[in-house]
Amino acid sequence: MDASHSTRIEELLPAYALGALDGEDLRELEEHLGAGCAECGRQLDLWNRDLETLAASVPPLAPSEMARARILRLAAGAAPASARAPRWTFFAAAALLLLGVWGAAGQLRTRGEVRRLTAERNRMARQVDALGREVNLARAEARQAAQALQILAAPSVRSVVLAGLGPTPGAAGHTYVNPQTRDALFYGFNLPRLAADKTYQLWFIAGGKPVSAGIFSVDERGTGRLRVENVVEVEDIQVWAVTVEPQGGVPQPTGEMVLKG
Amino acid sequence: MSRVATRDGVAFTRLFEVHAPVALGLLSRILAGSGGEAEEVLQEVFLQVWMQADRYDAGRCSPRGWILMMARSRALDRLRRRNAARRREEIVGEETGGEALPPIGTERLERRERQRQVDSALGLLSPDQRRCIELAFFEGLTHTQIAARLEAPLGTVKSRILMGMSKLRQALSA
Repeated sequence: MDASHSTRIEELLPAYALGALDGEDLRELEEHLGAGCAECGRQLDLWNRDLETLAASVPPLAPSEMARARILRLAAGAAPASARAPRWTFFAAAALLLLGVWGAAGQLRTRGEVRRLTAERNRMARQVDALGREVNLARAEARQAAQALQILAAPSVRSVVLAGLGPTPGAAGHTYVNPQTRDALFYGFNLPRLAADKTYQLWFIAGGKPVSAGIFSVDERGTGRLRVENVVEVEDIQVWAVTVEPQGGVPQPTGEMVLKG
Repeated sequence: MSRVATRDGVAFTRLFEVHAPVALGLLSRILAGSGGEAEEVLQEVFLQVWMQADRYDAGRCSPRGWILMMARSRALDRLRRRNAARRREEIVGEETGGEALPPIGTERLERRERQRQVDSALGLLSPDQRRCIELAFFEGLTHTQIAARLEAPLGTVKSRILMGMSKLRQALSA
């Protein structure tokens, strides 16, 4: 126990664990902890455990599918770092190996250095690998957002609101069509998830005939998104609708209509 | 956690499935319903877990504690930046976060018990003590900031936090 340990110092610990300490109290306690007081370190761990219990008492929330996918992609395809190391690391390793045989006198010291640098190289390679995956994912999402913006920001964009029908009165949808590029963007909300052998299919009706615009699924929040290219007969579209169809979609609607507008 | 440190993807996935919902719940509470921002921070936290699992010290806290304290720290940083930005400009509201997750199996029982224990502990605090602790824990305010927010004397705030935390300790260890 540090010589400066006192009841007063101990009483600062709970506020320090909370992050509430400031001013002279904070300076004094950090100086004391910096001196290596084991008793305060032990008590601080206990306060942190109490706060962990407090933190864990909040109602849990399910991460969205997108967040889950992005995070778990970090670990996807994880393999021994050496198998994924970039080419420069090979040369770094070769250089380190050359160092390893540089004179018998320095051999032991050099081996230790090789191990340290190799471990550091592997750690950095893993970081590069994980960040690379993050960047690729972010780029894909940015492309998707740019495509959506291109449609939504067009001066002549047409929007259609779809209302829920039948078993899904609380569902809703929006379709945005850019008549110049003939691209469309559909968003569906509050749609229930379907059995594995079913899918949602978006349709537009032009000239009295239904035309498939594509199939989509929804995430756990009931949100679905579909981008449609080369929408035909843009000027003649009378209705947009969503039906429930067999997985893979069908050429003509056969299932129940859940959205229409 | 030691398996995650050896780049075991299965262990990382398991760690995520077990701890991510509570971490996201905490992040959403601190970031006050900003679901998109909470998920961004969740990603940062688990990226840090993946990168730095070898730094985890089992002698100091549980994996859950390590993850939750990282989450809290990052969320409070984000909250402070957001509050600073809010002072400069009006920000546009964001959509709310994920849906409440019904826990399953033994996890549900453990969570219920934990919730009951914490509710009971918090119930022993006076409203003033509870408010001070919540302002510090969920909003990252210091003694001085809490005193200013509540328009209370600094010494009173310090006393409320000390007494409140002591009661919390007694109740949680009972």
